[in-house]
Amino acid sequence: MNKNGFKDGVKGALPIVLGYLPVGVTFGILARKAGLSSVEVGFMSFFVYAGASQFLAIEMISKGVPIFSIILATFFINLRHILMSSNLSIYLRNIRIPILGLLSAQLTDESYAVAMSKLSSVKNRPPYLLGLQMTSQLAWVGGSVAGAFFSSLTESTRWGLPFALPALFICLLVLQIKNAHHVWVMVIAGISSIFFKWALPGNWYILLTALFASGVGMMIETVWSKNP
Amino acid sequence: MLILILGMGLVTFFPRFLPMAFLSRWVPPQRVRMGLSYFPVAILSAIVFPTLFSDGNQVGIQPSYLVAALPVFLFSWKVKSLWGSVLLGMAIYWLLGFIL
Repeated sequence: MNKNGFKDGVKGALPIVLGYLPVGVTFGILARKAGLSSVEVGFMSFFVYAGASQFLAIEMISKGVPIFSIILATFFINLRHILMSSNLSIYLRNIRIPILGLLSAQLTDESYAVAMSKLSSVKNRPPYLLGLQMTSQLAWVGGSVAGAFFSSLTESTRWGLPFALPALFICLLVLQIKNAHHVWVMVIAGISSIFFKWALPGNWYILLTALFASGVGMMIETVWSKNP
Repeated sequence: MLILILGMGLVTFFPRFLPMAFLSRWVPPQRVRMGLSYFPVAILSAIVFPTLFSDGNQVGIQPSYLVAALPVFLFSWKVKSLWGSVLLGMAIYWLLGFIL
């Protein structure tokens, strides 16, 4: 193993660390608010290590959604990693399965994006990717545990904390909008989710809207590409 | 809670691991990729909009949520900073508490 590769990876992770620490702290605070203990917060950040689905999970936990639905939602949200994992695998040839297991467990949108921007460092050099991803995960776990401890020092309804999660999801949503089709899907999903929430019991509206609106997005793209 | 965390961990791990391990050159069918590309927008919209347009469990509006959401939308779009958006949203919501 090339030690310099590992060090370069740690350095490459610094922008990710800057992003993960504060969001991790926010997660820790909100997770405590949803009823998780500090140990559970640390466990979840370590074993799940997927920002959007962890925020969604604590939102669903606080609304009393059954465990199975939360796991199903997590699965659908993180299905997108199939594409990133397939993509990275092209650059990781002849590497032992346990090492691939470690690398893939730490794969995130951000580490994927940084890795793809530095392909020459990544190509067949697991130590680089390992350094990049271990540093990132450390920041996420450390940030969320720190937030969980800090949360006892402040009341959860003060300092605008009730709006932290809506603001985060608004920004995550805006970051996903890359073309006109996405805007249409957002409008359709926005309207249908309000309707489904009104019409259906419980929290099925989230998954139902997601499947319905991404299906509509697929139809829009198919029709528009045939009749431009 | 432990079952939930381990379950979430497992379903997160396999989509990350299996392609890297076995499908090194596999690319999903066109239609699947097309559908997946809209999934994040769809699910995030399904989280955001009902939060803004509901009053408890009824359809309605939450004035302070709506007023705070607009600048956060604009800021996210222009600056694209996750942490900045969260701070801005919290600050506006906090200030609105004194007015509304």
